Amino acid sequence: MTDYNKPLPVIEKWNEPYWQAAKRHEFVAQQCKACGYIHLPPGPACTNCLSPVQDWVQLSGKGSIYSYGIYYQQWHPGFADDVPYNVALIHLDEGPHIISQIIGCTNEDLDCDLPVEVTFDDITPEITLPKFRLVGIKQS
Amino acid sequence: MGLQDLHNLRDQVCIVGVGDTKQGAVSDKTGDELGIDAARAALADCGLKKDDIDGLFVQPSYGRQGDYLKVGLMLGLNPKVGGAVEASGATGCYMIQHAALLLNAGMANYILLVYATNQKTNRNRFGGALLEEHAPYGAFNPSGPFAFAFRRHMHLYGTTEEQLATIAINQRKHAILNPKAVQQTPITLDDYMSARYIVWPLRLFDYCYITDGGHAFILTSPERAKDLNKPPVYIRGMGRQEAFRAYETPDLVMQSFQQEAVAKMVFAMAGCTTRDIQALYVQDAYSPAVIAALENYGFCPRGESGHWIQDGRIALGGELPLNVNGGQLSETYMVGWQNTYDAVRQLRAECGERQIEAVERIMCTYTGGLREHAGALILRR
Repeated sequence: MTDYNKPLPVIEKWNEPYWQAAKRHEFVAQQCKACGYIHLPPGPACTNCLSPVQDWVQLSGKGSIYSYGIYYQQWHPGFADDVPYNVALIHLDEGPHIISQIIGCTNEDLDCDLPVEVTFDDITPEITLPKFRLVGIKQS
Repeated sequence: MGLQDLHNLRDQVCIVGVGDTKQGAVSDKTGDELGIDAARAALADCGLKKDDIDGLFVQPSYGRQGDYLKVGLMLGLNPKVGGAVEASGATGCYMIQHAALLLNAGMANYILLVYATNQKTNRNRFGGALLEEHAPYGAFNPSGPFAFAFRRHMHLYGTTEEQLATIAINQRKHAILNPKAVQQTPITLDDYMSARYIVWPLRLFDYCYITDGGHAFILTSPERAKDLNKPPVYIRGMGRQEAFRAYETPDLVMQSFQQEAVAKMVFAMAGCTTRDIQALYVQDAYSPAVIAALENYGFCPRGESGHWIQDGRIALGGELPLNVNGGQLSETYMVGWQNTYDAVRQLRAECGERQIEAVERIMCTYTGGLREHAGALILRR
């Protein structure tokens, strides 16, 4: 058992390989076999051409902070000790944008367009969340 | 058919009746009861009888209020057309567009639209994540994407929190002139800047104030409008655009893709430009919605809205009075319905001391969900 009390990902048919990869500390996305489009979140078809034939590909894990916010309001008891915490919209080098968090820095270190790379937070024995950390020093 | 043909719909349908209820905390009524009250008020406003209504659209609300079947049963209607429409804060706009098309096609004669909620009394905290994959990261409440968009705006254009404050302060001034508005205490820049952050860079006053209440509208053709109580308000232009691929390209989070597309449609249909619009209502669940609308619809150059809104430009009596009811930040949170209601009352010159002088054309813009829904109306008297 774990005392982890934040919401866990809801694992279902489409995203199961994503979360299995995260547990192995791999960061993956769907890539369409028909048109080559790389997309997240996982789904039953390519959001570019609707082909049902999708591969899973390794992503570089590199990207940048498109934007972010600092959550002062506590909407969930699991985040009581975290406020104020950041949530960021990450622009991945391969194209998709995902919602995640930047860890290993203070909220004041964050800025738009800073380079980030994926890191893995093993929150329970079963679940690992891909999160991000700042790359190098802060750019002005 | 294409955008160039939309002018065929211009002025072909009007809003002839509007109804509302007490706003704020209405703890003795269910949401559906408030919806029936609003419908009754809209019927009285235009002078129609209930059984004249042959179309009904309903927007669902928190706590299973606003179910089409239930509301239809309570109203005792046998409509020819109708249904529930769900597009969050753009629903009221989309519903008016559906009704306009059905009326114009001759499928119905008088269409009733209803939205009501008791989500204040029922304590809807808006604490969930809009997409379940966001919940593990703590991305709760719909304000996140608005905070991201404003933070990005600050980064790209140097827009400041003090500039954003103008929106909340301006709307509070308008609300104080509006007895219907639930927020009646003036706020200063100091009040704004010392308020707590909810999702930085947004503060308490950048958030809509959750209320109970209801609104209803009745639409018909210009010909049928002649026999009714009040002067008709015409649908001069309408437009909409969805962006369900909102997380694939960042422009969609800034709403430029969807709102620029709406702008093309609504101005093409109306046969006018921003210069012909004398007042603007923005569905302002969070204040950055105003920044996005001003730039994406072309009222001010990209990146300049922070400066543009200063010095009374968006105040009553200014160049572009904006949300002169107080908007959702200060009047009531009715997912945009309160703005349509107030625009109609302004065009009928029923707004007393906060009446916009000689107003003929008003634009209303709407946003919903993770910012993926966008729609607009241009109304004229």
